[in-house]
Amino acid sequence: MAKLPVDAEKIIAQFGPHLNFAPQEGYIGRDEPDKVVETHCCFCGMQCGIKLLVKNNKVVGFDPWMEFPFNEGRLCPKGVQRYLQNNHPDRLLEPLQRVEGEGFKPVSWEDSMDKTVAEIQRIQQTYGNDAFAMLSGVSITNEKSYLVGKFARVALKTRNLDYNGRLCMVSAGAGNKKAFGLDRGSNNYSDLANAEVILVAGANVSETFPTLTYWIWQARDNGAKLIVVDPRVIPLARTADLHLDIRPGTDSALYGAMLNYMVEKDLLDHDFINEHTTGFQQTIDAVKDYSLEWAEQVTGIAKEKIALAAEWWGKAATSFLLHARGIEHHSKGVDNVLGCINLVLATGRIGKPYCGYATITGQGNGQGGREHGHKCDQLPGNRDINNPAHRKYISEVWGIDEKDMPGAGYTAYELVEAIHRGEVKGLISLCFNPLVSLPNNNYVREALEKLEFYATIDFFLNETARHADIIFPGSLQEEEEGTVTTAEGRVTRIRQAVTPPGQARTDTSIILELAARLGAGDKFSYSSSEDIFNELRVASKGGTADYYGITYEKIEANMGVFWPCPSLDHPGTPRLWEDRKFATADGKAHFNPVVYKDPGEVVDEEYPVVLTTGRVVSQYLSGTQTRRIGKLVNQYPEPLLEIHPELAARYGITQRELVRVVTRRGEAEFPANIVETIRKDTVFVPYHWPGRKSANQLTTGTLDPISKIPEFKVCACKLVPLRKEAPLPQDAHAYDSI
Amino acid sequence: MTSYYKTEMEFFVDMQRCIGCKACEAACAECETNGQQSMIHVNYVERAVTIQTTVQVCMHCDDPVCANVCPADAISKDEFGVVHTANTARCIGCSNCVMACPFGVPFKEESYDMMMKCNMCYDRTSAGKKPMCATVCPSQALYYGTREEMRRMRPNSVPVNTFQFGKLEVKTKVNIMMPKGATMLKVD
Amino acid sequence: MRFQLNKKAFFIALCCCIVTVMLVFYGSRKLQNFDAALIAYLFGTVFALFGIIYRYCIWLQRPPTWMYFRRGWQLLFSKSFVEYAGLSVQKLVRNIAFQRFIYPRGKTRWWGHFMLATGCMLAFCVTIPLTLGWIHFTMNPTDTSLYEAHLFGFKVMEFKLGSWMAFFIFHILNWCSWLVIAGCLLFMRRRLTHAGLIASQTFEGDWLPLVLLMAISVTGLGLTYDYEFLKGKTYEFMAVTHAVTVILFLIWIPFGKFFHIIQRPAQIGAHLYRKEGEKRGMAICPHTHKAFATQMHVDDLKIVTKELGFDFTLEDGTSHLDLSPEGKRAALAKAHLKAREATGKFFG
Repeated sequence: MAKLPVDAEKIIAQFGPHLNFAPQEGYIGRDEPDKVVETHCCFCGMQCGIKLLVKNNKVVGFDPWMEFPFNEGRLCPKGVQRYLQNNHPDRLLEPLQRVEGEGFKPVSWEDSMDKTVAEIQRIQQTYGNDAFAMLSGVSITNEKSYLVGKFARVALKTRNLDYNGRLCMVSAGAGNKKAFGLDRGSNNYSDLANAEVILVAGANVSETFPTLTYWIWQARDNGAKLIVVDPRVIPLARTADLHLDIRPGTDSALYGAMLNYMVEKDLLDHDFINEHTTGFQQTIDAVKDYSLEWAEQVTGIAKEKIALAAEWWGKAATSFLLHARGIEHHSKGVDNVLGCINLVLATGRIGKPYCGYATITGQGNGQGGREHGHKCDQLPGNRDINNPAHRKYISEVWGIDEKDMPGAGYTAYELVEAIHRGEVKGLISLCFNPLVSLPNNNYVREALEKLEFYATIDFFLNETARHADIIFPGSLQEEEEGTVTTAEGRVTRIRQAVTPPGQARTDTSIILELAARLGAGDKFSYSSSEDIFNELRVASKGGTADYYGITYEKIEANMGVFWPCPSLDHPGTPRLWEDRKFATADGKAHFNPVVYKDPGEVVDEEYPVVLTTGRVVSQYLSGTQTRRIGKLVNQYPEPLLEIHPELAARYGITQRELVRVVTRRGEAEFPANIVETIRKDTVFVPYHWPGRKSANQLTTGTLDPISKIPEFKVCACKLVPLRKEAPLPQDAHAYDSI
Repeated sequence: MTSYYKTEMEFFVDMQRCIGCKACEAACAECETNGQQSMIHVNYVERAVTIQTTVQVCMHCDDPVCANVCPADAISKDEFGVVHTANTARCIGCSNCVMACPFGVPFKEESYDMMMKCNMCYDRTSAGKKPMCATVCPSQALYYGTREEMRRMRPNSVPVNTFQFGKLEVKTKVNIMMPKGATMLKVD
Repeated sequence: MRFQLNKKAFFIALCCCIVTVMLVFYGSRKLQNFDAALIAYLFGTVFALFGIIYRYCIWLQRPPTWMYFRRGWQLLFSKSFVEYAGLSVQKLVRNIAFQRFIYPRGKTRWWGHFMLATGCMLAFCVTIPLTLGWIHFTMNPTDTSLYEAHLFGFKVMEFKLGSWMAFFIFHILNWCSWLVIAGCLLFMRRRLTHAGLIASQTFEGDWLPLVLLMAISVTGLGLTYDYEFLKGKTYEFMAVTHAVTVILFLIWIPFGKFFHIIQRPAQIGAHLYRKEGEKRGMAICPHTHKAFATQMHVDDLKIVTKELGFDFTLEDGTSHLDLSPEGKRAALAKAHLKAREATGKFFG
C-alpha cells in the first residue's frame, strides 16, 4: 500500500524503536515473583532454558534454569536481557489502522477484522486466490507454524505462502533431504564432547550461538582439534588449531579439494561407502581436477592449510562437522552443504557416538518451523506439496478435498518479485520484517508500496509493518503456550508466562478468528495450543519429521524429546542413522557431485571488493525485538565496516572514517573499523539495522536454484571514503534509522 | 546468611576461552546489589590486531592493595577471603583503589562519587549459589566450582593464584587456569 | 589483635578534650550558664570527642590518608586559595548539606539519607552548644514577652513568646526527631525488602545505627509528649531513657557506622586534589593511549604503595601503575596468552 502514511520520524516517535532499560533497582516485585516460569529464550535455535520471573502479569526478570540439559543455566547477553521485551513501552496494545496523513490510529477488533476479510475477498475475487499471499517466520512455535500453513491453504486458499526460514537454512534443508532424505541435524550436541576433529564452516558460533561454544570448548578440553572456515578471524577462530580464511563464495572449491585429497591419500571408509551410500564415483569424478594449487587460487587459503585440514579430517576416528549461514547464504548454498556432507559420508563418520554432522539452525524455531508446512512447497511432517500421496494424507487430516489443496507457490524473495510484476496484490504477514532481512531491500520497499492491501500481526511495529493497512497486536513468545524444536531436533515446551497486555491477543486467536470469518471456522476449532499440537502430531505421522509420539506431557517429563518419535512408547531419537537406514527412497545416503561455480556476482574493476554480511552477538536477526533493548543496543550501537589495514591503506581510510559502500543495488555509509582480523580482499558489515544503516540495501537477490536462498554472503562492492570522521556511536541512532 | 557460604567452591578464570559476548556483564548488572551497574569487565585486548577479549572479575587478593591504599578504610576482606566493595558510607570517591589495583578491577561511578567493584556475588555465594557471571558464561571462561571438578574437566591445566607484577608478588583467592606445570603468571 | 595505645593520637585527643573542657568553663561564663541537668550528656560528649579525635589521628597516620589530608590542606592554602575555597564551599553545600551524590544511587535512598542527616546535623547544632553551655535562653528583663538567645554569653537574637519563631525554636528537636524517624523508616523498609541489602547487611553495621537513631528520636519526642500531655508524670523515665540512648550514640560514634559523619568532609579534599591534578596534567595510558587519571595521582600512588610495601616497579624501570585499569587488564590477558601460546595449547 503506497508510501508511509506520515513521515517515518512520526511513526518512530509513537511506536519506536525506543530503548528499554530496567529500572535501576530492578522491576518492583522481582524479589517476590508471583510465579517462576520454566521456558526458553526466544532468540536463536539453541533455545536455551531460562526461568522468567512474573509479577502482576508482567515479566520482571529472569533466573538461570540450571537443570535444562543443553545450557545448564548458561546464557548469552540476549538471553539475559530477553525479559525486557515484555513490559516494553513500544508494545502494541490495540489494533491499528493506517490513516493517510495521520499515521496509525486505533481501531476496534471488529472493524480491523471486517476490513481485512473484505480486502482479502475483494482481491481474491478480482485477481484470483493466489493474488493474496502470506509471509510467516520461524521465531514462532510449532503450533503456529502448523496453523499458518493450514490457514493459508484452507482458509486463504492461496498457494503463495512462504516464510523467513527461506533466508535461514533452506540450503541445508535441501542438501540434507538430497543426501539423507531427512532434514535435521544428525546428532545432538553432546556428541561433540569426544569428537577428535571439529570442523566449523561458516558459523560464527560465539556470536550467533554463544551457548554452543561451551560444547566445542569441552571437546577441545578433551583434545579435539578445531578447524574453522571463515573469512574473518571470529572469536572461535582465534585459538583454533587451524583457521581456513576463505574468500567468500568459494566454499565448494575447498570441500571439493579436500575430498580429492582424501581420495588421493585414500583416507576413506570404503566399507561404509560401498554398503551404505550411492553416487560416490560420480562425486569424486567431479572433483578429480581440484588440486590443492587450484583450490588455493580459488579460495585464497594456503594449500598447506587445505592439505592439513584434509589430513586431519581424513584420519580422525571421530569427528563433527557444523555449518551455518556462512556456507548456506549463497547462490550455490545447496552445493556447499552437499560438499560438506560428501566429506562426512566419505569417512563414514555418522550415526555413531561422537561422529556427527549438523547445520546450526539460526532462528528461534528454525528447525520446527521448517517442518510443519509453512514453506511454499511443503506440507506437515516435512511432506511434499507436489506428492499426490502426501497431498491426499494431509487433505484427509484437514478434512478438505484434495483438489482444493493449492500447489507450490513462490518463495519469499520470488514473492517480492511477483508483487513487482503485479501478480500478487495483497499480503498478510506474521513474524517477518523483510524490509530489514531480505536482500536488496530498496526493491522490497517498492514492492510493499505496490500492494493494494497489507495486514500484519506483530507485537511491535517493525519497519515493514509501517507499510501496513491493518496491524493486529499479536503475542510475544512468553504470551502463548506451545512447543519449539531446537537446532538439535529437541522438541521443547514454551510456556505462557503472562497473557497479552491491553487488547492484544495471541497470534493463534487472531488467525483462528480470521479463518472463521473467511468461512473455514469448522476446520479451525481448537480450544488450546495443545489441541493444535495434537493435530500436528497426526498430520506429521508417517512423514519424515514424525512427531506422533511426542506429547506435552512427555516433553515436560523429559525436558524435551528428539524427533523422529513415531509412537507413544518411542523415546525419541537424539542421534540419527545408528541403524544405517537412511530416509531416502533406497535407504542409502547419497553422495552428490558438486562442481565449483563462481558466486552470482564476482568482483571486477568497477566493484573490486568482496562484501560479506553477518551478525553481532547483541542483536537478533532484523532487530524487531533486540533493537528495542537498551543495553543490547549499546553493546554494539551501529554497524561498522570491518576492513583490513592494507585495504584501508589503499583507499587512505582511517579508523572511524565514514566510508560509502556502493553496489549495483544501492549504497550505504558506515564507519570504518580497521582490523587485521579479516581477509585483505573482503569487507564485512552486520545486517541488523534498518533504513540507511541497512546492509541489505547492498546485498544481492541472486537465489540458489534449488533452495531459493538469497546470496547474502557475497557480492561485489566499491568503497568511497568520505574523508570525515563518523559521529560518535551513541549519536549514530542506527537502531531507529530511517 | 554467611554460614551457607561454601568454602570448597572456588572461582576459576581462563580468559583465552572468553568469546567477548558480554553475557557476564549483562547478568552482573541484573544483580540486586548492583543497581544495573556491571562489576565485571570485558574488553578487547587490542582490537586493531586481534579479536582477543579479556574478562576480569575481582581476584580477591590475600593482601588487597585496594584496601591498603584506601584512605577511608572503606574496603574490607571477610573471613572467607572475599574482598568487599566499598562501604558506601565511607567511600570518598578518591579513586586510589581504581588506580592501584594491579588487575584493573575497581571503577569509580562518577555520578555516585563512589567506587564499585565485584564482591563475588556475595548475595548469591553466601546463599550457596554460583556467582551470576560464572553461571551464565557460555564459554565457561568463568567457572565456579570445586578444585576437583576443575581437575576432572580440564586435566591439562592447573589453577594458579600467584601473579608477579615487576617486583611485586600478589596472591589471590580467585584462580587463573594455566598450562600444566605453571605456578605463577608473570605480567610485565 | 592486641590493643596498642597510639601515643600521638592519645596526646592530641587529650589536648582537644582539655581545650573543650576549658571552653565549656569559659564559654558558659564560668559555669553560670551551664545546665547541671545536662552533666551526663557533657561527659558523653567529651568522651565521644576523645574517641573521635583519637580515631581520626590513627586514621590520618595511614600513608594514603595522610597523603590526601596533607595534599588537601596544601592545595586549599595554595595560591589558588580563592578558587579552591569557593569549590570547597560549593561541595560542602552540595555533598555535605544535601548529599547530592546519593541521589543518583536511588531517589528514596536519597530522601531517606537526607532526612536522617538533616535531622541529625540540625540536632547536633542545637544540643552540643546547649550541653556545653555555649548557648542559653533568658527572658528579656524589661519585656517578659520577649525571649533572648545567648551564644558564649553574648546576646545574638530575641523573639516573641508565642511567635512562630518561638514555636519553631522551642520544638526544633522535635522537628529533628520527625525527620530522623521518617528517614529511618525509609531505610528500614529498604533493608527489609531489598534482596541485595538483605544478603550483605549486618546487625551491627546497618540495623543497630537505625535502631539507635529511632530510639533517640522516639524518646526525645516522648519528653515533649510527657510535658505536653502527661503533665510530667513520666518525666523521670523519659529523661533517663533518652539520656541513655543519646549517650550510647555519642560514645559509639568513634567505633561504628557514625564515624562516616566525621570522615565524609574528606570527600571535598578528593575533589580539590582531582581539580589541581587536572591543571597539572593527565596521565596517558601506554596501552589505550587515553588519559585515565591525573599524573599527580599516579605519582603519589607510587609513593604510597611503596610505603605500604607494594612495589609495582617493572624490570624496565616503568611501573605497572602507569597503566590504566583497562591497560592492566589487557596486560594480564596478553601475559596469559603468551603463557598459553608457549605451550601450544589453549585448552584442556
